[in-house]
Amino acid sequence: MDFLWHKVSEKEWEGIRVEAERVMNNFSKKLERVKGNLVESFFGEEVFEREEGKVPCAEIDREVMFGNAPKKNDDSIIAERGGW
Amino acid sequence: MTTLERVKECLGKIKKENCKINALLEIRPEGEILKEAEEIDKKIKRGRAGKLAGKIIVVKANINVKGMNISCASKVLEDYKAPYDASVIERIEKEDGLIIGIANMDEFAAGFSGETSAFGPVKNPVDKTLITGGSSSGSAAAVAVGFCDMALGSDTGGSIRNPASICGVVGLKPSYGSVSRYGLIDLSMSLDQIGPLAKNVKDVNLLFDVIKGKDERDATSRECPAHPPQSKRGEIIVGILDLDCLGVDERIKELINRKVEEISSKNGWKTKEVNIENIDLAVETYYPLVYVEFFSATRRFDGRRYGKKIEDAAGPEVLRRVLGGGEITKAEHEGRYYNSAIRVKEFIRAEFSKNFRSVDCIVSPVLPRLPWKIGEKISVEEGYAMDVLTIPSNLAGNCSISVPVGKIDGIPVGIQIICDKFEEEKLLGIARAFEGD
Repeated sequence: MDFLWHKVSEKEWEGIRVEAERVMNNFSKKLERVKGNLVESFFGEEVFEREEGKVPCAEIDREVMFGNAPKKNDDSIIAERGGW
Repeated sequence: MTTLERVKECLGKIKKENCKINALLEIRPEGEILKEAEEIDKKIKRGRAGKLAGKIIVVKANINVKGMNISCASKVLEDYKAPYDASVIERIEKEDGLIIGIANMDEFAAGFSGETSAFGPVKNPVDKTLITGGSSSGSAAAVAVGFCDMALGSDTGGSIRNPASICGVVGLKPSYGSVSRYGLIDLSMSLDQIGPLAKNVKDVNLLFDVIKGKDERDATSRECPAHPPQSKRGEIIVGILDLDCLGVDERIKELINRKVEEISSKNGWKTKEVNIENIDLAVETYYPLVYVEFFSATRRFDGRRYGKKIEDAAGPEVLRRVLGGGEITKAEHEGRYYNSAIRVKEFIRAEFSKNFRSVDCIVSPVLPRLPWKIGEKISVEEGYAMDVLTIPSNLAGNCSISVPVGKIDGIPVGIQIICDKFEEEKLLGIARAFEGD
């Protein structure tokens, strides 16, 4: 196979899923070689709370944001309930 | 050269060459760019310009730049316009960096070759039949051919260093947490870092200094603690990574070894062989983490607030990671795949920490092999193995850099230098030595 982008057909879809599962199972088997546990390291500050409203969000361009939505009315994005 | 003159030079090159290498997906309107360049030049004349004044910059297509099409090189987001600036963009603009366009990349950063973009692969500036590497393919190529002075990329498993090596430019993966990820469309949030690419270490250093530092909007970010650039021991000890069982091309090994010997001898540095236990499992550790975190990150691409449903519009590699991630996060597996990978990740991280007690840096090639032809058939595992040497420093959260040190068959080859977390100053000092004149 090559890695060039192409539109994936329904037939190819299942093949991709099966291959992904195969790769993950192979990788998982190899990791079994490593025995034991270490405590997981923590990335971040020691104080991990902040006061509500104190950190300004980035300035959002409302027009651009609504421009991205497939369906909208004046001040809401419309999504079909259970459409997902 | 004024900013205006420089940007006109860059725009001229882009008009002539971008159609041949496909490094950039979008350029800002020329009138806007030229006006901004003039404003920057006025500031320079008044002595009031920021650190990046005069520098022309492009940004990878997964970093939000307000008003621009931040597609992640995917049909999923091909109509998505960023409604806000990422924190790194705000910092660049504050220092008068001139952002002119958006760079092509592997789709959603899920790649290592520059081939998976939905808008066509990026072509290697040295040999257009070859890959550029990825996923920051356009960023590296744009710097290499002179479309810009600097670029932003992102690096999760090697995505800055890999294309930097192949394109013959300098690329830095900062320590995890040293650069805010606010506004980066994530591939794998526990591994992603935004970083700079440029033709030389000085410019990489400059851009890193501007974008680094704690951001209240990214809880994993922190201030980089000040470290002295030179070794605490008063001399540099270079650790040479043991490459056994990693499948590295002998020609690449030889070139890197020669360079290490040359630079160490010139600077009076000592060298020492370094072994990172379980480094041969780096790829097997990395991909389950990425598959799971990417699956989680892509649930927002449901076509409701923006874009299209990812399962309907993505290419094969993105789909592989989404479907694979969906599979291994099923309740029946009880987190087995992810937890197993986290466990081995910690061992690799601890190995790096242990070694950094006795060496100042660890060096290796960036890539185990030379780039292949665009569209060449290789297996998934062979493709994933391209990142075997870069993935470990993402797993450990360390900083690492690719610096060009020679060529094989006319193709640039980079050396990777890795330092401990938040030792970017030391790393950049060592990188400058390898860069030479």
